[in-house]
Amino acid sequence: MTEKIEDIFNECLERLLKGESVEDCLKAFPEQASELEPLLKTSFVLTQKSAAIQATPEFKARVHSQLQEMLYVKREKAERRARVPFWHRRWAAAITTVLVIVLAGIGTVTASAGALPDETLYSVKLAAEQARLTLAFSDIGKAKLHIQFAERRADEMVEVARQGKSDKIPMLTEQVAEHLDKLYIAEGTKKVGEVTPKALAPVPAPTPVPPPTKVPQEAYSAGKARDAQDAEELETTLSQSRARSLDALRNALGQAPEELKPHLERAIENVAKDYDKTISIIKSGSSP
Amino acid sequence: MSIEEYVVSQAINGDGEAFAQLYEEHFDKIYRYIYLRLGNQTEAEDLTQEVFVKALEAIGSYKWRSLPFASWLFRIAHNQIIDYIRKQGRVEKVTWDDNIVHVDEPNPALIAEQKLEVEELADNVKNLSLAQREVISLRFGAELSIAEAAKALGKSPGTVKALQYNGIMALRKMMLGDR
Repeated sequence: MTEKIEDIFNECLERLLKGESVEDCLKAFPEQASELEPLLKTSFVLTQKSAAIQATPEFKARVHSQLQEMLYVKREKAERRARVPFWHRRWAAAITTVLVIVLAGIGTVTASAGALPDETLYSVKLAAEQARLTLAFSDIGKAKLHIQFAERRADEMVEVARQGKSDKIPMLTEQVAEHLDKLYIAEGTKKVGEVTPKALAPVPAPTPVPPPTKVPQEAYSAGKARDAQDAEELETTLSQSRARSLDALRNALGQAPEELKPHLERAIENVAKDYDKTISIIKSGSSP
Repeated sequence: MSIEEYVVSQAINGDGEAFAQLYEEHFDKIYRYIYLRLGNQTEAEDLTQEVFVKALEAIGSYKWRSLPFASWLFRIAHNQIIDYIRKQGRVEKVTWDDNIVHVDEPNPALIAEQKLEVEELADNVKNLSLAQREVISLRFGAELSIAEAAKALGKSPGTVKALQYNGIMALRKMMLGDR
């Protein structure tokens, strides 16, 4: 079969681009040489002239730096999403369950409800909170408990401020931050066609978490939709809790003696920042 | 797995250095291709920038098996040009500006000569048909192979070879003033 002229020309062009001379190319196709020669010469000129088109180094560097910035933001976002929620550490479940049964049995838990940081029953109050977290059935349930406990720490701040115990305020502010930190949802770490077993059928603690199981696409979509709904619900609960906590703290600030005010002002600023940061992370985690 | 395939897979997994390597490898070619298509430095810069931003945003969804990386990148560039021209509401034509060539050679006479040569080339390229101009820009500006150019344009290799042959023949005639 006779080769088409455009195929022969392309073969010669490839040779030319690899560094062969026009003459060498033509020797391989003597019958078409007269037709090919002027076209190859034109191609050679075209190659030379095209190579002269170059962007300025400044522009190239500018785009490079813009891309680096984008990559940094992308990486930050991925790392933030990959944070595993605290409540996945199920090893603590058994111990805490035993603890709460014992404590509940002697009625100490109820008595500790109003305890403040410098009181004996305060550790019982914290242990009871931890037990409730461990026994919470779902991730969203645990998250709501963390919000409730963060707000409880803010209320305790108001109470210690009323009693003039300014030294307890920074520690309680830290605890608000810790509870809010534990809300991060590791959305976006699930792949299409995969959900954690928990998303379909919750596994009671302290059973070790088995590896992800393949499930049908519909089940994944349902799980994903539920995740988005949970994130929205969490965002609303957080915003309401933020408003209540800050109102209580600002009220306390209005009534506090002058020497306490700087402590409360700092606490208000930090608590507001922690709530805002968490709300923003929940928002970005729930975005598609 | 080829080296490029490995680098691309690293970039897909979020490796910034791998993406930077792909950027270095393809930047000049993308710029030349867009420049040959539009003939304007500012437009070529804007679109080149957009191509790499889009590539970075979309690289997670890139699949090696369906399209070679260079073809995928040039398809983004091709689509950017089409979108740009549509938004501008203009017919694609080449208007070559004065800043077409940036050479390292400090000799002003040589710079002027090169500029003239490129302008002459540009004048001729703008008279090619759109399909011929696309192929010539991809083959000589972007240095894509026939197979890569075919995939980037969604045409068969045979069609690309024919367009290349006819394009060069038309350019030859123009250069000789025989049209």
